Amino acid sequence: MMLAGTVWQRELLEFYQRRRAMVIKLLFPLFIAIPLLFTHAPVIYVAMALTMLITIIGALGAGAVLTRERLVGLTVRYRTLPVTPGRLLLERLTVNAAIDFLQLIPVLLLVAVRYPNSIAWWPALLLTSMAALLVGNLLGAVASVLSDSPGEVMLYIFIPLLPVLYLSGVFAPLTEPALLVVSRFLPFSYLHEALLGALGGQSNLLPWETALAGLGFLVGAAGLIGRLGRRVLESE
Amino acid sequence: MKADTASTAELLNASDLSRVYGGGKGVFGISLTLKAGEVVGLMGPNGSGKTTLLRMLATASTPTSGRLTWFGNSNSRDPSVRRRLGVVLDQAAHFDQMTGYQNGWFFARQFGLTPDLARSRLDELFSWSGISDARDQRVGEYSLGMKRRLNLVEALVHRPAILLLDEPTLALDYRAELDLIERLQLLTLTGTAIILATNDVHLAERLCDRILFLHQGRVIREGRVPELMTELAGSKEVQLQMSSPVSLEKLWLLPAVQAANVEGDTVHIVLARGANPADVLAVLNGTADLVSTMRVRRPNLGDLFLKLTGVALPAAHE
Repeated sequence: MMLAGTVWQRELLEFYQRRRAMVIKLLFPLFIAIPLLFTHAPVIYVAMALTMLITIIGALGAGAVLTRERLVGLTVRYRTLPVTPGRLLLERLTVNAAIDFLQLIPVLLLVAVRYPNSIAWWPALLLTSMAALLVGNLLGAVASVLSDSPGEVMLYIFIPLLPVLYLSGVFAPLTEPALLVVSRFLPFSYLHEALLGALGGQSNLLPWETALAGLGFLVGAAGLIGRLGRRVLESE
Repeated sequence: MKADTASTAELLNASDLSRVYGGGKGVFGISLTLKAGEVVGLMGPNGSGKTTLLRMLATASTPTSGRLTWFGNSNSRDPSVRRRLGVVLDQAAHFDQMTGYQNGWFFARQFGLTPDLARSRLDELFSWSGISDARDQRVGEYSLGMKRRLNLVEALVHRPAILLLDEPTLALDYRAELDLIERLQLLTLTGTAIILATNDVHLAERLCDRILFLHQGRVIREGRVPELMTELAGSKEVQLQMSSPVSLEKLWLLPAVQAANVEGDTVHIVLARGANPADVLAVLNGTADLVSTMRVRRPNLGDLFLKLTGVALPAAHE
């Protein structure tokens, strides 16, 4: 029997033991990605759809799980564990983001197979994807505090997410200088740039700039999760 | 770690503790100490603040005001504090996708047990709790009683210095309740202190050294069990099961009636020393034929609560 003694091991164990959910989770991104990547869809639309897919995968999973756990009383049990709230939330969201990343690997591999000449963008794509997933998980965790049901959490995720995606230049290229500046403070804009580059399209940034920003957001999100542990896990 | 100068014999010290929720509900100005080997009971009807208080004492929620220390340490998030607490909360929440043993293992390891120690303690506790046969079954398939037993396994596995139990006998059968009482009595002999939120008067009378009666978020009475029971010495509790509702007003005509309350179709009456239970039927006069059953028994802590507040404690096993 597989046993888990730490929070991150427990997350992995539960994911592994929910076989049917695991298979669905691993397959559904492919159903979206395959038609996009192997048809003649314009790169800008493919990049937009994949940016949204990655962001939503990150945000929805954590939000729904944390809301359900709060409703059934598991969050209160977590509060009695001898682990600080920051560390607890960081362990949980990092593992969740890692599982989400696992879910995306087939999609990223398809991008690499379809556009092998864009190898320079792969580090940036990996780092910005991880950052977007971790930020998405954080967003879901914060939304879970406001929600009374796993369904309601979707509302609290999409209300800020859609404008943020717009401001990231995901839906349409940003031309206003002020909006361009704003977009540089949003992790999803770098994911979008990395996808544009990896899909052979026209990116506004260099691969190393995008990769560096991805790394920055990854570290920043981890730090913020540690700081927000109490607020997320101890709110009633 | 903020060490206090308070006596080390006090494992837990709560002073003027309040937790206020919207609508003015919560708990207010509660003070409490707990020494090694002591068992303190929190009793009160639903909504009286037992669970709110217990959650604060279990570090699961933060007081709005007041001071709370565990082992002289006021930092509720300090892992060294939490490692010495064993908690059974009101909700039997587990990781439902995992087996009972996987759940137990997770908590045992989280509370610092080595793999070997975790294995031997879990083997013993699963066997004690009577859920050994279901240890490899998913908790999602457990009954409420089995989940509550698993809660006890998880709370006891690291042999905590303080046990905080919210309605621990809820959904347990008679045999399991007896086993639990025995186990808790043994633990107190080794110095484990226990705080018990319960409405099970028999459990409280058998196990508790002291009782705090809570009503509307405040402690309305506190005392050692024998002292509290002497307040009822000679009293009787009369239970009338009615086939149709009756007014209680007539009952108050009897000077011996100290408290009366209706719960469902049952009227609970506490009669003072020397009163004749038959007088109750006499005073009901024309409605006495609506009494389908009459029981007279020695009063218990629930009757004292009724006498103090006019509110009956809900039956623990309903």
